[in-house]
Amino acid sequence: MVPRKVRLTLTYIILIFWSFMVLLPIYWLFTTSFKTRGAVIGGTKYLPWAQFKPTIQPWINIIEEETLVLSLTNTAVIASISAFLALLFGTMAAYGLSRYKFHFGFFQNRDIMIWIISQRMMPPIVTAIALFIMLKWFNLLDTRIGLIMVYVAFNLPIAVWLMENFFSQIPETLEEAARIDGASRLQIFGRIVLPLAMPGLVATFFLCFVFGWNQFLFALTLTWRNARTLPVLIAAQHAQAGPQWWRISAMTVVTIVPPIIISTYVREHLVKGVVTTNK
Amino acid sequence: MAPAVIVLLIFTVFPFLFTIFLSFSNVSLVGGLSINFEGIQNWVRLLHDGRFWNSISNIALFVSLGVVLEYILGLSLAMLLRQKIPGREFFRILFLMPISITPLAVGYMFRMLYHPSRGVFNNILSSIGLPTINFLGDPDLAMFFVIATDVWHWTPLIFLLLTAGLQGIPESYLEAAQIDGANSWQRFRYIIFPQLIPTSIAAILLRSIEASKFMDKLYILTGGGPGISTETPTLFAYLSGLNNFDLAYGATIAMAFFVLVLVFFILTFLVITWFGLTKLGRA
Repeated sequence: MVPRKVRLTLTYIILIFWSFMVLLPIYWLFTTSFKTRGAVIGGTKYLPWAQFKPTIQPWINIIEEETLVLSLTNTAVIASISAFLALLFGTMAAYGLSRYKFHFGFFQNRDIMIWIISQRMMPPIVTAIALFIMLKWFNLLDTRIGLIMVYVAFNLPIAVWLMENFFSQIPETLEEAARIDGASRLQIFGRIVLPLAMPGLVATFFLCFVFGWNQFLFALTLTWRNARTLPVLIAAQHAQAGPQWWRISAMTVVTIVPPIIISTYVREHLVKGVVTTNK
Repeated sequence: MAPAVIVLLIFTVFPFLFTIFLSFSNVSLVGGLSINFEGIQNWVRLLHDGRFWNSISNIALFVSLGVVLEYILGLSLAMLLRQKIPGREFFRILFLMPISITPLAVGYMFRMLYHPSRGVFNNILSSIGLPTINFLGDPDLAMFFVIATDVWHWTPLIFLLLTAGLQGIPESYLEAAQIDGANSWQRFRYIIFPQLIPTSIAAILLRSIEASKFMDKLYILTGGGPGISTETPTLFAYLSGLNNFDLAYGATIAMAFFVLVLVFFILTFLVITWFGLTKLGRA
């Protein structure tokens, strides 16, 4: 048997090594966004002040540029509206699926659910080309509305699946009690089910938001200037000859910070939601 | 129900059927969009296209090697953090960070680290006296370093799922084994691992499905290069269909790829059921 002390030391060595691996790319990105052109080109510089003089010039440059502000607004608007709509439609579908029985021939609730989830398993490229042509027909290429509609469909399966899980954890006896007391279906849904499902709603919304924020293929296919999102903007910067790393790094920091903050917050919420509904 | 079904019909089912139609058509964007039914020519061209089969073998390597590495690392980290040691919460939060980072940004971050002359990795290699590596510029090696990026990005997801799975194992099982004199390896081999199988299968399937769609990080890391040595089907379909605007052929590549993926996952599912490893739904 390995002595406890040796095992503990080994454990920490591995954990610290992996932490280092996780942090290195993030650290590199942040420091590069505070470097001058000279500090990037002149070799590999790790430590601010000791090895290079940090500057906020890249940040000033990107904030002054209209393209970044436009892309940031686009990404925020498209991700939040599409997440809201996916949540709205998803909640309606999920509540229906968890409380009523549907029959379309042999096609029943469980089959509908599997069908909805299977939409998410399909590689996005399968629909991307057709969507490109469809949006062209309706003159919706490179518009926020076009991308929002596509993202709603992209996120809907996840929203239905998660919300169905949350609804099925709410005891139906509560709703029956309200029905006996004379509450209408809408009242039951609005006053009893929704408040209980609140943690689930919040978590699902933000999850869809992050998926929309990070989505790349559809955005790359369907937008290029007016509705261009942040990932597509970064990709375009990088394609240029002699990419300006310091500038792109600053843009990338802007891109990654919101999802990281939101995910950490949602994880808390998801955990709380599961805990409170299980008790 | 209705709005959700309508959205999916318009933006998923219709485009899917439309893609099938496109793959049998001739699409031209010159002088306005025109679509003419053409027959199986695109499919014949595809079957003889070495670039398509190259992309299929690339994605097969990417998914199999990538997901196996992610699973081994994720399981190891989850097991290490099962111990009640100081700093456990801190490590957990830190390890989960990569999941939420925009894939494209991950590609960009590693592009900088892999840079042949200014990158961190080569700087470390040369400072300890090892030869430097042209990470993304060597057609024989590039795919492995692309995979490494994906392992960095998605090991945390497997770690998260397995950590949840580990918490579901009743402590009493392990105590009983300990009383019976099982050492820590035996406890892992005969109790923890068998209990983790349903979660493991779910995690591996989930990651494989997601990994098969791979293109975002690749787009910025290598763009499919050098040559076509790292090109995946999604990227190939994108480049043909939406970069060169050979829309019909792009649709054919995408559809052919989807058929192969579907067959593969149906077979996998049959094998899993065959071995009686189901109970996936409630894993």
